[in-house]
Amino acid sequence: MGIITLLMNFVFVLVIYCFIFSIIRLIYMDIKSINYYISNSNGKHPYLKLINQREMLNFRIEETYLLTKECSIGRDAKSDIIIKDPFISSQHAQIVKKEGIYYIKDTGSKNGTFVNDNPLKIGFEWRLNNGDKIRLGQVEFLFVDILSKA
Amino acid sequence: MFGILTYRKPINYIILLNLLAYLFIFYNLKSYKFETFAVGLGIILLVCTTYLIIIKNRLGDEYLFLIVSMLLSLGVIMIYRLDNDAGIKQTVWSFIGLVMFVTTCQIFRLIKIWDRIAIYYVGLSVFLYLITLLLGRNINGATNWIVIGGQSFQPLEISKIIYILFLACYFKKPNQLFFEGMGFSETKKEKLNKLVLVLFTFLNVFFLMLQKEWGSILLISSIYIIVLYVYGKNTLFFICNIVMTIPIVLFGYFFVYHIKVRIDTWINPWADIAGKGYQITQSLFAISSGGYFGTGLGLGRPDMVPAVNTDFIFSAICEEMGILTGVAVILLYMLLTYRGLKIVLRVKKRFNKVLGLGITTMLGLQTFIIIGGVIKLIPLTGITLPYISYGGSSLVSSFIILGILQAISREDYADVGGEIDEGE
Repeated sequence: MGIITLLMNFVFVLVIYCFIFSIIRLIYMDIKSINYYISNSNGKHPYLKLINQREMLNFRIEETYLLTKECSIGRDAKSDIIIKDPFISSQHAQIVKKEGIYYIKDTGSKNGTFVNDNPLKIGFEWRLNNGDKIRLGQVEFLFVDILSKA
Repeated sequence: MFGILTYRKPINYIILLNLLAYLFIFYNLKSYKFETFAVGLGIILLVCTTYLIIIKNRLGDEYLFLIVSMLLSLGVIMIYRLDNDAGIKQTVWSFIGLVMFVTTCQIFRLIKIWDRIAIYYVGLSVFLYLITLLLGRNINGATNWIVIGGQSFQPLEISKIIYILFLACYFKKPNQLFFEGMGFSETKKEKLNKLVLVLFTFLNVFFLMLQKEWGSILLISSIYIIVLYVYGKNTLFFICNIVMTIPIVLFGYFFVYHIKVRIDTWINPWADIAGKGYQITQSLFAISSGGYFGTGLGLGRPDMVPAVNTDFIFSAICEEMGILTGVAVILLYMLLTYRGLKIVLRVKKRFNKVLGLGITTMLGLQTFIIIGGVIKLIPLTGITLPYISYGGSSLVSSFIILGILQAISREDYADVGGEIDEGE
């Protein structure tokens, strides 16, 4: 009887602390993404902002991705932006910069890339404007480019 | 979705905790009532539904609600174990509270005149105090209950919210709240407005004194001092306020019997164990008998402590779930306060900033005052532990202020359009 009660109490306390731990973990992720955003963006570079609620996705993802140079998106470890979404191909898309204008290109994805719900043909370069919504797999990004708006 | 049962989602722990707790109660109390599971399932259903509403409608910060729903679960578990009927009532109140939470969250955003109706706040506040004075019933030594149709509630819980709203109005444009366009010079207007602020604070304190609510007086004056410290620009005015409180405290100690008793039992409760020190010593015995992991739900004797449902629920939690759970509860409140402050830091509108700070301070201080009182860290004052203590009006008003905080937090998760415009 005594052992069972002790064990029960132990499990109970454990559950509460697991909960606190998971909350702290989420808050930590939250703060980390803010620091990343503050330290890197001085308004000169456009960035991708996550539209989804990050907690609804089961893989590691940042709140913002800064586009300082051309970068590739995919599940592959060599990509610049690595997203381990099972619906994203290993080499999914690429963002290229030509004369200060940003374009997005689908590099042979299985489930397609969508800009404002328009599917992209493979290899076609779509010009990105401020406020465009980019959808890859389950993930949806907002393209934010403050300078190009002027 | 395959990821529903992941160990990473905090909501799953809340569900697990509730299931475990009601199973323990069912097993340990040996009364084998199946309503135990009904209460448990009810709470799980309420929490999950509200959580889904927050996620789906993108109502802003979700950690606030997660932390609070954990506290709420612990509270209902403990109250149900202490008194089955009270537990069922508390479940119903939780339902009303959560409905109020979601509605407040929406209404606060839809109505945009909260910062312009300061004069109505004063009016409503005075009205509530007067009505309490006239119709108040005396329950447990404080005359602050109003009974309407068999249901009793405390208007002073609403008065606290109104006071915070008034503070936010005042600090939105310091010293320009009233007497606009009445031909006063700038400096005179400033002084008159300061006078209004101080008078309104004293009005609150005065009426609360008539109701013998010493805990609330402490709370309201602390909120006033803290908000003044953060947002007030005039150091001299702040120091004046601090100096002014000292004679009041001394007056309270020497001339109000009730306060003197509280302080004496705080310094030495063992002198009169059977009489004045009974509450606090029983509370200390309860906490110490729990040990690290507690006696087990339904196996301790927390009913020995007077007012265990409301003021002393923290000692009951410590006894039956262990001091580790007690520490966890304090940690949860700290996280809640931290989240509140973080929201306040990111909000842009000044009115919302002050309001958020006031709300966060109130939640944090209320917890500090009552937990500190129960563990004999500070003199004991009767005040409820937010989200845990038994009591309808306290629970509902706590959920209303949480709703306001949630609505404020939504602003910084601004819609797409707003965030882009900011950069210009």
